[in-house]
Amino acid sequence: MTRFDPRGRVNRALLVGVSTYDFTEPPHGVPGDLPAVEHNLDLFQDTLAGGGVFGAADVTVARSPSLDDFDRVLRTAAEEAEGLLLLYFAGHGAIPSAGDELFLQMRNASVIAGGHAVFPGAEMFTTVLTWLASSPAERIVVVLDCCFAGNAAWIWEHFRDKRRVLLLMSVQANHRTDAGDGGTPTPFTSELLHLLAAPGELGFRDVSDALRKRMTEGPHETLRGEPWTPQSRAEHDEDVLVSAREAAVVHRPGPSHGRGGGPPVPGRPGAGQPSATPPRGTRGRSGGRPDRGRNGPVRPEAKRPRPPHGTGGGAVPPEQADAVRTPVPHRPRTPHRAPGHAAAAVPAGPVTARPRRSSAPLRAARRLAGRAGTWGAVLTALLSLTATGLGVYALTGLAGGSSDCAPALELRVLTDPDLEATVGAAAEAYLTSDANTTGDGCRRSGITVYSAGSADAVAALRRESGDWHEPRDEGPNPQRDIGPQPDVWIPASRADVARVTDGQDTDALARLEPDDGALAYSPIVLAVPTVLAADSLDERVGGPLTGMVDALRERHAHAEVRRPDPEFADAALLATIGLYGTGADPGRVEREVAPPGPPSPTAAGLLCALPDDDAVDNRTAALVPEFLMRSGVGCDRTTRSPRTAQYPGDVPGLEPVFVRVRWEGADLDRAARDEAAAGFGAWLAGAGGRAAFGAAGFRAADTGRDLLDPDGIADGVLPAPSLLIESAGRDAMETALRKYRDARGPGRVLFLLDSSGSMAGLWRGPSGGPGLLKESLGGLGGRDEYGVWAVADSARDRPYETLLPFGPHSRGSARAAIDAGARIRDAEADPYAALVAALGEMAERGADDDRPQLIVHLTDDEDAGRLTGARLEDVLSRARLTGVPITTVSLVGGGCDAGRPGALISTAGGGRCLDADDELGTGLSAEVARTGTGEQ
Amino acid sequence: MIRRLAALLALLLLAACTGGGNGPHEEPPADVQGDIVVAGGRDVTGKNGIRQQLIDAWNRRQERDGTGYRARLVELPGSADEQRSQLLGALQSGSATYDVVLLDVTWVPEFAAAGLVRPLPDDVLDSDVVESVAGTARWDGDVYAVPFNSDVGLLYYRRDHLRDGGVQRTDLRGGLDWRELEAMADSLDENPPEGYEKGWTTQLAAYEGRTVNAVEAFASAVPGLALTDADGHYDATVEELTAGIAELRRRTQAPYLLQDAVHSDEAAALADFAKGRTAFLRHWPYAYFTLHRTLTAAELGVAPLPGQAVLGGQNLAVTKDSKRPGKAQELIRYLTGEESERCLLDAGFAATRASAYEDDSVRCTVPAASPSPSGESADRTPRDPAGRPAYARGILLPALRRAVQRPRTALYGAFTQTFTGRLGPLFGDSPPGDAALAAALDEALRKALPD
Repeated sequence: MTRFDPRGRVNRALLVGVSTYDFTEPPHGVPGDLPAVEHNLDLFQDTLAGGGVFGAADVTVARSPSLDDFDRVLRTAAEEAEGLLLLYFAGHGAIPSAGDELFLQMRNASVIAGGHAVFPGAEMFTTVLTWLASSPAERIVVVLDCCFAGNAAWIWEHFRDKRRVLLLMSVQANHRTDAGDGGTPTPFTSELLHLLAAPGELGFRDVSDALRKRMTEGPHETLRGEPWTPQSRAEHDEDVLVSAREAAVVHRPGPSHGRGGGPPVPGRPGAGQPSATPPRGTRGRSGGRPDRGRNGPVRPEAKRPRPPHGTGGGAVPPEQADAVRTPVPHRPRTPHRAPGHAAAAVPAGPVTARPRRSSAPLRAARRLAGRAGTWGAVLTALLSLTATGLGVYALTGLAGGSSDCAPALELRVLTDPDLEATVGAAAEAYLTSDANTTGDGCRRSGITVYSAGSADAVAALRRESGDWHEPRDEGPNPQRDIGPQPDVWIPASRADVARVTDGQDTDALARLEPDDGALAYSPIVLAVPTVLAADSLDERVGGPLTGMVDALRERHAHAEVRRPDPEFADAALLATIGLYGTGADPGRVEREVAPPGPPSPTAAGLLCALPDDDAVDNRTAALVPEFLMRSGVGCDRTTRSPRTAQYPGDVPGLEPVFVRVRWEGADLDRAARDEAAAGFGAWLAGAGGRAAFGAAGFRAADTGRDLLDPDGIADGVLPAPSLLIESAGRDAMETALRKYRDARGPGRVLFLLDSSGSMAGLWRGPSGGPGLLKESLGGLGGRDEYGVWAVADSARDRPYETLLPFGPHSRGSARAAIDAGARIRDAEADPYAALVAALGEMAERGADDDRPQLIVHLTDDEDAGRLTGARLEDVLSRARLTGVPITTVSLVGGGCDAGRPGALISTAGGGRCLDADDELGTGLSAEVARTGTGEQ
Repeated sequence: MIRRLAALLALLLLAACTGGGNGPHEEPPADVQGDIVVAGGRDVTGKNGIRQQLIDAWNRRQERDGTGYRARLVELPGSADEQRSQLLGALQSGSATYDVVLLDVTWVPEFAAAGLVRPLPDDVLDSDVVESVAGTARWDGDVYAVPFNSDVGLLYYRRDHLRDGGVQRTDLRGGLDWRELEAMADSLDENPPEGYEKGWTTQLAAYEGRTVNAVEAFASAVPGLALTDADGHYDATVEELTAGIAELRRRTQAPYLLQDAVHSDEAAALADFAKGRTAFLRHWPYAYFTLHRTLTAAELGVAPLPGQAVLGGQNLAVTKDSKRPGKAQELIRYLTGEESERCLLDAGFAATRASAYEDDSVRCTVPAASPSPSGESADRTPRDPAGRPAYARGILLPALRRAVQRPRTALYGAFTQTFTGRLGPLFGDSPPGDAALAAALDEALRKALPD
């Protein structure tokens, strides 16, 4: 990068400040006068004079010029400058509705509002740039301190001769700012002058970077309540020396580069400063004393409302301005819009203040400032303490050489398992987006997205929020079993919110605040292998699900239908509403859609599992949300049966909704957390979120329900199926879940706990054998029957001892019995004999009904050597014969590898095999919960 | 340097303004009797609840002394991301109350910089704590945590494969470099044992495992490369990154690496190695116990990782808002004391104290569930005469001492997400060149760790 050094050249600085306006009354006046601007000019002039780049004669000050006067002085300065040309403007700025032009409003400015607002008495920034570009100056620096200053960036970027132009803007595009106290300079210029008052060489980039840092870290906010972030633009390799002030106290060796005499105390210019030369051709004047010229005296800190720093589309009428002038931290704001004014591109969304952390040197200096009063005093104190070191420090600190991003506020985002991939991708995009980035490039918030079974999440929010807040030794621990306490919950249906709140304890510690609208929409479809699918549109769209399923089976006798686990994800539960229809027998339905073995937890898992067996894939339709037709195809296996979506008319679709979750007592960072959650929520509801949901295959949540990404229509999907299905209701979901759990009646579970000597190393703690067993009891309710056998060769006549007799139990008494009786036996175990006995027991118990049954075998596989050959074959055949699923929980790694007894036995009976490579607690609990009815 | 000088001077000035002071460590207020809540991730590595046992032992002591305090372990999910999210979110907002938190070593700077955990007296890190491990507990000149259990990358190898593959040297305890490893893999290719496919496997899926493996390659290629400076700011050049990427590419090239490693996490890599698909495995100390359940000492060996190995582990810290910080600190001293560390070592963790490895008089007396003498043995881990895992003193302790840390920054989450993501193309179908990838990585890291 090259830094242009203008010293020794013919330089010009034109300082334009409009503090007084001719028209300040509605309907055509600007919002008001800007007394602070007068101070800007005085101090800027003084600061430049000592800055070592501009001589006093090089600086022209134009005070409240008319448009004609402004054009004249601008032309003069442009013509005269040969080295550096600096233009500074402070006053009202205005933009038309498109936001693609910026008007700098001069003294005689007025506003004619309307669809195409007109701004007489104002200069277009494009025109200003064109005038400047006509100058022979080698470099041109423009500083804008006005509302909407950032809208100049777009114009600069599209300006052909921008290479010589370096642009510094007080605020980001489309934002208005408060002009500050009328007795002091405007906040932006005040900060700018502090920086320019520092000794040493400062480039344009040094100043803009440090300014951005100081403003965003400071208490300043735009009138929309967002961090006030100055902007800059320059070609990537361009920089200009803008100040080369000699250190006031520190005398560094070597020749001075400065020309002008600097003030003795940087940052406190004023008394004793050499005056600038009288302005040429302006009505302004030199010197530090305000002189209103023809515009009259400076008004005292007026009682009238201080206007915002601009007009135009988003302007606030004077009577409203006061209400939003002073930033009120932690209070949501509503964007103000002047009736009848041209609409500016003002993004919606209330945003409040957030604490920001400064870099270490700035923090240290600011702490000092708090004691000593002003930055000038700080620098004086620092400079007077040491010599070279602190001279360098001041420069480094002010130039923003390094930045400490504070660790971001962490948002915990819980979502439905079917949505985790989509919400996760959205969060990842948000994390690095501009919306989540401060002017320093720091992240405003961090986000972790996780999912938990939807029925468990609803139950935990409804009646276990106390345990979630503070888990007790023997009670449920949602912190472990569900996940972090969510700050944000994105369930797949709004009905989930009602499911929580309608049955919530009165002393619940989690309070839900759902957004009004859904984030996206995706209908539940019957994804049928295309060769089996209905041909006509009538058959494909709108009919009842049961009819579609029956028609499919009529067309193809071997066709099957699969649905994921309704306990685990909402999509499957919504599909269940349709499957049970009106009056269908849930028991019969479940026998038809329940494959051998456990169901896939998620719809994406189901779509990936089907192609594992081509024959199954070719004959099986899957009930899944439509969006997975696009994004649910990234499985390991790349060949699959092409599928066609059929759209039942009686299955409510997925409508993810953003829910803020507030926890009782979580007040340490309440406002900042609210802001962070609201920021993410607004982004999700806006273009960023639409892009993420669109890429995943979702539709818009509005009535049209168009695909959010119309260019990405997946094969087999109808662009506009025109469905009119009501959103899911709380009662419908609760009823479907209850029917599902009752479909096969209460369950029976027999636990076999390997208690042989080798289990000693895997016995203690929540992840030991007894701990895992006890944890899984949460899935069993009062109507379920279960028992526990301790498996070891310690009993004389059989391969086990009974720890808990078979029957219904309360969870507490069951736990107590296990605690009392579970211990390591001084013996080996005979898994063969124990499994044969267990299969016999369960076959007998289940002889007269069709209730769900399960055998759970917790073991370390130490005695698997007694389960080989004929013995193993015997167990496998008995398991197949009885049809009782056996879930093997191997507490060592590799226990479920292909060919291992655990894997074979589980497969034979339609159970699962879990080993130490899995999340054992979660996996076992899910299996047991699927068999039992749980607490209802 | 300038920042440090400035900070120092600023501190001096402040001290002067306030008339001096007692330094940054204030005396904690009086403790309030009650439960000390210890929050940490679920231990999924099967160490028989040793953490709970140590807490139980401390509680028995409190009961005996009638102090009115009791420690209570709150388990968090097994996923490290979810643990961090809950700990951060809860401490920032107050949504849950914890007194002691178990932090992954890479989280210490973040929790310290955010003011969520308290500075501790320097003497919690006495000279017995392995110096490299002690380094994970400090941030910005203060001690914020105490190492509880450590972790370090090790090289496991199949002695049976080496033997069957015609490799002369089947005892690698003295260490080897990557060239020797590649030569052995070449030899195995010529005489492949049954089930053998490739030389080695490791964890390269898009998660922390990839960061760990990449940092090990980078630190091996560019000695002293830390990627961040003492303040946590990004501090590397494109040239350094290029060298690091070249080393990572060399280690993971097709002739030697099991291709499944690109999608493997710890469990998958362990399973592939246990099945005999590779002769070498980069893994953590707990694999020593897990693998010895299925492999004999004649089949399994462990050696120092060639080049640099990365430190892992968890540290204990006292939360800022704890109402009983004094007692919480006492609990931490107990849990990280000589005897506790010996218990952790015996149970399968890497202890943080040299005495656990070297001093035979330090024993674990915490009662544990143990098989009776006549029963079958649960423990197939080879042990030295003093009862430690046989590899502890000769392999594990030296590995810990030589190990390097992952970049230390309060923005570690952003770092590792960027690092892992940007290195992904290296394992894709058409990997970019070293320099091009380094330039992209450099740019991304500058954005993730802004300065």
